[in-house]
Amino acid sequence: MTQTDSKTGFLDRNYFLLRRLHSLTGIMPIGVFLISHLLTNASIVWGRFDSREAAYGHAGAAVFQKEVNFIHSLPFLLLIEIFGLWLPIAFHAALGVVYAMSGKPNNQRYAYQDNWRYTLQRISGYVGIAFIFYHLATLRWGWTFLIPGGTQWSAEFAGSTLAQVMQGGPDGVTFKGLVVALFYFVGVSLLVFHFANGLWTSAITWGLTISAKAQKRWGVACLGVGASLMALAWAAIFGFMVLDVKSAKDAEAKILKGPLPVLEKAADAGGSSDLARTAK
Amino acid sequence: MITSLTNAPAGPHAKELAQRAANRRNAKVGRTVMVKVQRCDGPGKASRWETFKVTTERGMNVISALQQIAGNPVTTDGKKTTPVVWNSGCLEEVCGACTMVINGKVRQSCSCLLDDYAPNEGDTITLEPMSKFPIIRDLWVDRERLFHNLRRVKAWVPIDGTYNLGPGPREHPKDQEIRYKMSECMSCGCCLEACPQFNLEADESKWDTSFIGAHAINQARLFNMHATGKELAMERLDALMGPGGVSDCGNAQNCVKVCPKSIPLTESIAAMGRAVTLASFTKFFRS
Amino acid sequence: MAQRVIVVGGGLAGLAASVRIAEAGLSVDLFSLVPVKRSHSVCAQGGINACNEVARQQGYSEYEHFDETVYGGDFLADQHPVLEMANWAPRIIDLLDRMGVPFNRTSEGYRDLRLFGGSLFKRTHFAGATTGQQLLYALDEQTRRYESEGKVTKYEYWEFLGPVIHDGRAVGIVAQDLRTMQIRAFRADAVVMATGGCGLVYGKSTNSIICTGAAAARCYQAGAWYGNPEMIQVHPTAIPGSDKLRLMSESARGEGGRVWVPGIKQADGTWTKHPKTGADPKTIPANERYYFLEEKYPAYGNIVPRDIATREIFDICVNHGMGVAGENQVYLDLTHRDPDYLARKLGGILEIYEKFVGDDPKFTPMRIFPAVHYSMGGLWTQFTKGSYNPSEPRTKHKSGAAAPIQAAVGQGMAYGEINNMQTNVQGLYAFGEVNFAFHGANRLGANALLSCLFDGLFSGMSVVNYLKDGAPSKAPAEGLPSQPYDDSVKAEQNRVNALLNSVTPNAEPETNPYAIHKELGVEMTAACTVVKSEARLKQCLAKLGELKDRASRIRLGDNASWTNQTLSYARAVQDMLSVADAIAQGSIQRKESRGAHYRTDFPERDDAQFLKTTVARWDPASRGALIAFEEMDHTLIKPAARTYGKVDKTSKKPEPAASHT
Repeated sequence: MTQTDSKTGFLDRNYFLLRRLHSLTGIMPIGVFLISHLLTNASIVWGRFDSREAAYGHAGAAVFQKEVNFIHSLPFLLLIEIFGLWLPIAFHAALGVVYAMSGKPNNQRYAYQDNWRYTLQRISGYVGIAFIFYHLATLRWGWTFLIPGGTQWSAEFAGSTLAQVMQGGPDGVTFKGLVVALFYFVGVSLLVFHFANGLWTSAITWGLTISAKAQKRWGVACLGVGASLMALAWAAIFGFMVLDVKSAKDAEAKILKGPLPVLEKAADAGGSSDLARTAK
Repeated sequence: MITSLTNAPAGPHAKELAQRAANRRNAKVGRTVMVKVQRCDGPGKASRWETFKVTTERGMNVISALQQIAGNPVTTDGKKTTPVVWNSGCLEEVCGACTMVINGKVRQSCSCLLDDYAPNEGDTITLEPMSKFPIIRDLWVDRERLFHNLRRVKAWVPIDGTYNLGPGPREHPKDQEIRYKMSECMSCGCCLEACPQFNLEADESKWDTSFIGAHAINQARLFNMHATGKELAMERLDALMGPGGVSDCGNAQNCVKVCPKSIPLTESIAAMGRAVTLASFTKFFRS
Repeated sequence: MAQRVIVVGGGLAGLAASVRIAEAGLSVDLFSLVPVKRSHSVCAQGGINACNEVARQQGYSEYEHFDETVYGGDFLADQHPVLEMANWAPRIIDLLDRMGVPFNRTSEGYRDLRLFGGSLFKRTHFAGATTGQQLLYALDEQTRRYESEGKVTKYEYWEFLGPVIHDGRAVGIVAQDLRTMQIRAFRADAVVMATGGCGLVYGKSTNSIICTGAAAARCYQAGAWYGNPEMIQVHPTAIPGSDKLRLMSESARGEGGRVWVPGIKQADGTWTKHPKTGADPKTIPANERYYFLEEKYPAYGNIVPRDIATREIFDICVNHGMGVAGENQVYLDLTHRDPDYLARKLGGILEIYEKFVGDDPKFTPMRIFPAVHYSMGGLWTQFTKGSYNPSEPRTKHKSGAAAPIQAAVGQGMAYGEINNMQTNVQGLYAFGEVNFAFHGANRLGANALLSCLFDGLFSGMSVVNYLKDGAPSKAPAEGLPSQPYDDSVKAEQNRVNALLNSVTPNAEPETNPYAIHKELGVEMTAACTVVKSEARLKQCLAKLGELKDRASRIRLGDNASWTNQTLSYARAVQDMLSVADAIAQGSIQRKESRGAHYRTDFPERDDAQFLKTTVARWDPASRGALIAFEEMDHTLIKPAARTYGKVDKTSKKPEPAASHT
């Protein structure tokens, strides 16, 4: 670990630092972002129960849109994205691949649960990289040719365009949409596993949990985290799969026009059809 | 530790152990068992399988089966062959010499009873050399890297020579118990054979940067716990922070499950994880 | 060019010697059949004896440790070396402690002690149930340290084939790499043999598979003398196995274990063989169980001293053929005890039985039989007496009485004298179990580890001084002509070639090394262990003659020029026969009973004739031993009857037996 040893390469000289940065980036920022991202996405479901947003006709789509708007209102968003997310993810991914390549899974012979998680951590890493790339490319960078149906995601119509991506087009769920949704299902699930399991192993790596009992206890906690995130992830996918594109688009359009003037009254009036009339 | 009175095994292998105990009860002395051995005439030579018939005796283990074969090495096809080459020593599971892969899992062959693994007439038991070390011949592998890795972590107490200098440091019995358990490691290599992160490395020049293995991490902890052994603590941690050190552990945790001495290897790995974490802060802020 | 020392054997004695010699600045080449960490020393379980502060304040002393050892050895050990060893014991424990051996601790953090056979004081230090393993590891670690500093070079998986002797002085060795099969000579200014015992001469024993005694045999055949070969310790309770015999601690009997065999009681009170002797022991009714120890020794029952237990078990099986299932085994039965109690008191040792036999001794009687355990005899060695030389030998030390001397270095042996633990061949030393010093006719429990370490640390200095002041200082091995080395290599190569050329696809049992070894073991176990007699020993010598003849025509089943284990094995079998011969000849000629040597035709100890060392010299002409009895050193303690306080046979109090563990 001596900096003066010029014969060894950069990777070897900073071996420990890189290893620990790899572990750290997995939790912060990537893990933290994952949690907030999943919460945001799941708002398409939990937003439905937000009565304050009922005036938009589709509360879920409205909450989701507002969440997206909030993110897009952040100053220097691109810089935050590049330095706070894309680079850490690229770093975590690149090193992760190097590290994962050094192992040779042996689950056939040693079919223990911990060993399966070891292997799955690596598989989920590989799949996760592919998924994140696809996810970013199609939705953030606008490589629509990779999307069956060619939907262009729009930040202003976040929920409805996303639903079109996941459903394969504007007219309800198609086979192409199912394929995309399935890919999302697999990719997101593996990433959630990757995060929860990584959270567990990082406690050993950093030496937070030492005794077997402590490791087990923390394992239960991580299982809880994983299960919760998994619920959010699956809820979001389900939410977009069943989202009514048209009503979502309506709600988004209203938000685009600006705040509703008589929200309280409208809310009192109840019923989305009434609201719709009022807005028009 | 009180042994279970009902004989019901516990722990990660409970099912397996219960199955073995059942096998043992049903096994009959004098039955014929097939011993399938992966053989190799030397480094770089191709491997082949040979199967031998063995007539079981009471309490027969894999070593006595191999001894029986050595007396008259004829395969089941009736082909006369050479005696199988293997390593053994104490035959009491304290020297670690006779480690091999039996029915797909690594363990000592001396404590491996045929009744447990091949309880019925005509059953087959499979013997392979450890795969993480270079083969010398047949079931004999060269585990020098394992000892090399003990040198990497300076697994010794740096005493001032063998002069008469009075007693060593006093020690609390609780610490002694922990150290004793860790010190029971017989360098058999089971933890390495089962580890997906520890892999065959024939090139000696790469040993210093390849994964050091659970056994050596455990020894680093053992000596860092000792009042005099601590003297080299930082050097041991340096070795563990470098390439192939403790961060190369992938937490598959197979090591602790195959350790014949039930050494808490994963706890040692975590303890050393903490030690290097703290050491890195110390280094960053102090030096 | 630096002076070099060769150490053969990487057990406790060899490693202690290597560390000591390397520390003195000399280069050490360490040869071992196995990676040194796998040496047989790992098998020692019980502990290591030394006077300690607690025992001292209770009235114990180094002197008493010395007395116990001499007494336990039935006065056959030279006394001065034993005194020095006992005096050094506490400092050896201190050193091990400093090396980090995890000795068991008291609640205050001091080293804990346990009571062991042969003493009334707690004087045995221990590390769990694997003291030998822990001590070996500590020395292995120190050796590794010197190895990484380049002071020790290890040659693991190298087999010692013989010393190179030039001008009557050992100047190196010939060894073979067991992997590549390369044979080469190594120059050295001194050679230390630390190759352990010869249990494999008995086929199966409690020894490791590497304890063939072949290395000692090769020195013996090269002219080194062999002392007290007939003194072989047999442990009464071992677990029979088809590969080896594993120790079953005496505590199993101490906790109420009953020894019996199935039998039928006749009208005259004698017992005969049971018709269904191999049946499930639980099905044998109480009146068909022959508790022979309890019946023959009503006072002591199952806790008779070990030598008696050993002899009786042996008698029942070998002479009366009443062993369980007709085999050489008897039941050691604990099933009448509460399993919970057993688990608490004997958990560890009962697990060993279950692990290797498969039966749970809490519910099924164990099958046990005596097993060869330790060779007190070995290469004959010299010593220089130390400063303590009373005008008259003292009587036996009264336990707890004030010691006549306070321990100090150099009272027993003169420290650093170059002949300490040197064989009759100049420059050839023997340390540890391979020499004959310290244990006389019987070894005391927990003294074996001590003698190994003591040899390495104490006599290691003698080796250092030999290089400094002895012959090597004038004529270093480095400058010697290459001819003696070349000749030795050639001779060994010829022997190997002859063996390799013998390879035959269909080896008859007649010349099959495995068959010869098996027969050797059976014969030696029957004739040269527990009970010996002239008639049986003569028969044994005849059998050995036959085996020697067959071994000279040995045929291998493997002619590989790479990692040929059969070759090494066959060669060891040939050499083991010379040790077997020395054991048998020594047994025949020692017409008395002493310690582990029991002759039915001479059941008493005979100090007038046999308070002497048996010295076996190899006779190349007859390819056998020439036995002579040499005067020995008994100037410190007068030989007394070895009774262990036994008053008479009806005494209710069991005598503490000398422990063998």
